[in-house]
Amino acid sequence: MTDIVRVEELYKTYEGGVTALDGVTAGFAAGSFTAVMGPSGSGKSTLLQCAAGLDRPTGGRVFIDGTELTATKDTPMTKFRRTRVGFVFQDYNLLPSLTVEQNTVLSLRLAGRRPDRTRVHAVLDRLGLGDRLHELPERLSGGQRQRVAVARALVTEPAVIFADEPTGALDLRSAREVLTLLRSIVHDHGRTVVMVTHDPVAAAYADSVVFLADGRLAGSLRAPTADAVAERLAHLGDRVGGVLA
Amino acid sequence: MIAVALRNLRHRPGGFIATFLSAFLGAALIMAFAALLDTASGLSAAEGNDSLVTTAMVGGGWCLVIVAFAVTSTLSLAVRQRSEQIALLRRAGATGPQIRRMVVGEALAVALLASAIAVPAGWLLGRVLVSLLKDTGQVVAAVSPGFGGIALALGFGVTLLGSFAAGLATARRILASSSRRERPRLRRLGAVLFLLIGANCAVLTATLMDGKGIDAMQTAGQAGIWASIGLALLAPELLRLVTVVLGPLVRVFGVAGDLAVTGVHSRTRQLASAVMPVLLFTGIATGTVYMQGIEDRAAEGQIQPEYAQDIQTLNYVVVGMITLFVAIMLVNTLVAATTHRRREFAQQRLAGATTGQVLAMVSLEGVLITVTGVLGGLAASMFTILPFGSARADQIWPSESPWAFAIVACSAAVLTAFATIQTTSRTVRGPATTAVRA
Ligand SMILES: Nc1ncnc2c1ncn2[C@@H]1O[C@H](COP(=O)(O)OP(=O)(O)OP(=O)(O)O)[C@@H](O)[C@H]1O
Ligand SMILES: [Mg+2]
Repeated sequence: MTDIVRVEELYKTYEGGVTALDGVTAGFAAGSFTAVMGPSGSGKSTLLQCAAGLDRPTGGRVFIDGTELTATKDTPMTKFRRTRVGFVFQDYNLLPSLTVEQNTVLSLRLAGRRPDRTRVHAVLDRLGLGDRLHELPERLSGGQRQRVAVARALVTEPAVIFADEPTGALDLRSAREVLTLLRSIVHDHGRTVVMVTHDPVAAAYADSVVFLADGRLAGSLRAPTADAVAERLAHLGDRVGGVLA
Repeated sequence: MIAVALRNLRHRPGGFIATFLSAFLGAALIMAFAALLDTASGLSAAEGNDSLVTTAMVGGGWCLVIVAFAVTSTLSLAVRQRSEQIALLRRAGATGPQIRRMVVGEALAVALLASAIAVPAGWLLGRVLVSLLKDTGQVVAAVSPGFGGIALALGFGVTLLGSFAAGLATARRILASSSRRERPRLRRLGAVLFLLIGANCAVLTATLMDGKGIDAMQTAGQAGIWASIGLALLAPELLRLVTVVLGPLVRVFGVAGDLAVTGVHSRTRQLASAVMPVLLFTGIATGTVYMQGIEDRAAEGQIQPEYAQDIQTLNYVVVGMITLFVAIMLVNTLVAATTHRRREFAQQRLAGATTGQVLAMVSLEGVLITVTGVLGGLAASMFTILPFGSARADQIWPSESPWAFAIVACSAAVLTAFATIQTTSRTVRGPATTAVRA
C-alpha cells in the first residue's frame, strides 16, 4: 500500500527549548485508520500539526500524497492543506461569528469552491446537526461543536483527515457516533484518518495504533483491542514515569 | 484586587498601551492649555491676559471633551478585550465590587503614570502655544511662559478623574453584559442631545449671527464639533447602515467580503470604536478648514476687526491639535482592536485562510469603517459650513473647491489602511497553532 502521509526524521523544538518531536519517522497508508497514543506532553498534537502543515517542523520532511509540504512556502502550503487535508481540533476552533453551516463550508469557500448544499446538509444531518444549521457556536454544547468541526473536515473531501482528540469532549453515545463515522469514511469511502486519543476504547476503532513517548515512536499495535491498548499504555506510562523520576 | 490589577499591568502591558497613549496625549494637551493660565496670572490685559485666557478656555475645553471621549473608548476597548480573563475571575469567585476595583485600579494606575510622563510634553507644548501667541502679536514679547500649579492640578486632576469615571463606566458595562446585552439607550440619548446642541448652534449662526461677520465663527465652529460628537456616538448604527448598503458590493470580493460583512455585524461595537475617531477627524477638520476658507474669502478687501487674527490662530491651533490627537487616537484604537484579533485570525488561518485572505478581509472592514466615518464627518461638518456660509457670505453652499475635503478624506483612509494592514500583517506572523492558544 502507498503511504498517503509520510513524515521523515521529524524534529520540533519550541521556542523556550522544549523538544516535542525527537526524530519521528512514520507512514500512514492510504485507506487506513490510525490512532496515535501516548502520555500527555509526548508530542502527539505536535506530530499531527506538523504532518498536516499547520506548523513547521524544526527539522525533517513531510509528504502528503506525494507532495513535500515542508518544501513549500506558507501560502501555497495553506492552499494545499485546505483542500487536501482535514483537521479536527481538540478545542474545535470554530469561528464564533459564523453559523454552523457557515463554519462547515468555510474551508471550501476559502478555497474558492462552491459548496454543494445538499451534500453539506447531508453530512450535518448525519452528525445530528440538521436542525442547528443557523445556530452560532456559542449556543452549542461541546459535543455539538466538535461535530461541526468534524463536518468541516469532511466536506472538503480531503485525502487525509487528522483529528486531535475528536471525542475528548463527547458523551459516550456521541463519541461512538463520531468514531463510527470516522471508521466508515475510511472503510466505505477509502479515506485516510489519523486520530490522537487517550481512550483505549476509541483507539480500538482504528486499524492500528502508534505509540509516542517523549517525542519518539514507542511501538505500534495492529488490530488493537481496548484491553491490549490499555495494557501497552500502562507499560508506556511506567517507562516514561521511570524516566521522569 | 488592586494587586491583581497591578500584576495585569506588569504582565500584559500591551493591552494598556492604547489607554496609556490617549491619557498621555490628553494630559499633555490639557497641561499645555492650562499652562497658559499660569502664564496669564499676574499679567495685565494690555500684556495679553485676555488672549491667553480665551485660548486656554476654548482650546482646553475642546481637549477636555475629546480626551474624555478618547480615554473612555480606549479603556472600554482594552477591558472588553479581556472579557475572557474577567469571566475566568468571576468563575473563580471574584465578586462584582472586586472586579470593579480591579478595572478602576488599572485605569487609575495607567492615568497616574501617563500624567506624570506627560509633564515635560505639556511644558514644551505650553511654550509652543505662548510663542505662537507672541508671533501673532496677541501677547507682548516680554512675557515669559509659565508652568505651575494650575497646569499640574488640571493636568493630573482631569486625567485621573476622567480615567476614574471611565473605569467605573467600563466596569459597570462589563458586569452588566455578563448577564444581559448592553443597552444602547444612554448612548443614543447622548447622541440626540449633542446633535440637538449642534443644530441649535447652527440655527443661531444662520439667524442671530447673520451679518455679524467673523463673530459667527464661534457658534458655527461649535455646531460642527457638537454634531461630530453626536454622530460619533451613533457610530454603531451608522456602521451597520453603511454595511447594509455597501454589503452587496463588498461581497463581490468573495469569502473575504462575506467574512468582513459578518464581522461587522457580530463585532459592531469594536469596529465602531474605530469609526468614532475617523468621524471626529473628518468632521472637525473639514468644518474648520472650510469655515476659515469662507472667512478668508469674505474678509478680502474688508477692514477686519483686530481680533480676526486671534481667531484665525486659535482656529488653526485648536484644529491642528484636535486633528493630531484624533489621528493618533485613530491609529491607537485600530492597532489595539486589531492586535486583539490574533486568535480570530489564527482560527481563520487554521480553517484554510491564507494571510492574503485575512488581509483582504481586514482591508474591506477598513473600507467600511472609513466610508462610515468620512460620510458621518462630512454630514457633521455641514453643521458648521452651511450656516456659516449663509451668515458670513450669504451663500449656503461654499464656493471653495472640494479638494480640501478630498485631502481630509484621503488622510483618514490612509491612516486607517496603514494602521489596520500594518497591525494585521504583524499579527498573522508566526504559526497559527500557537496563536490560537493566546
Ligand atoms: N506552542 C508551544 N510552545 C511551547 N511549547 C509547546 C507548545 N506546544 C506544545 N509544547 C510542548 O511540547 C510538548 C508536546 O506537546 P503536545 O501538545 O504535542 O503534547 P500532547 O502529546 O498532544 O499532549 P496532550 O495529550 O496533553 O494533548 C509539551 O511538553 C508541551 O509543553
Ligand atoms: Mg494534544
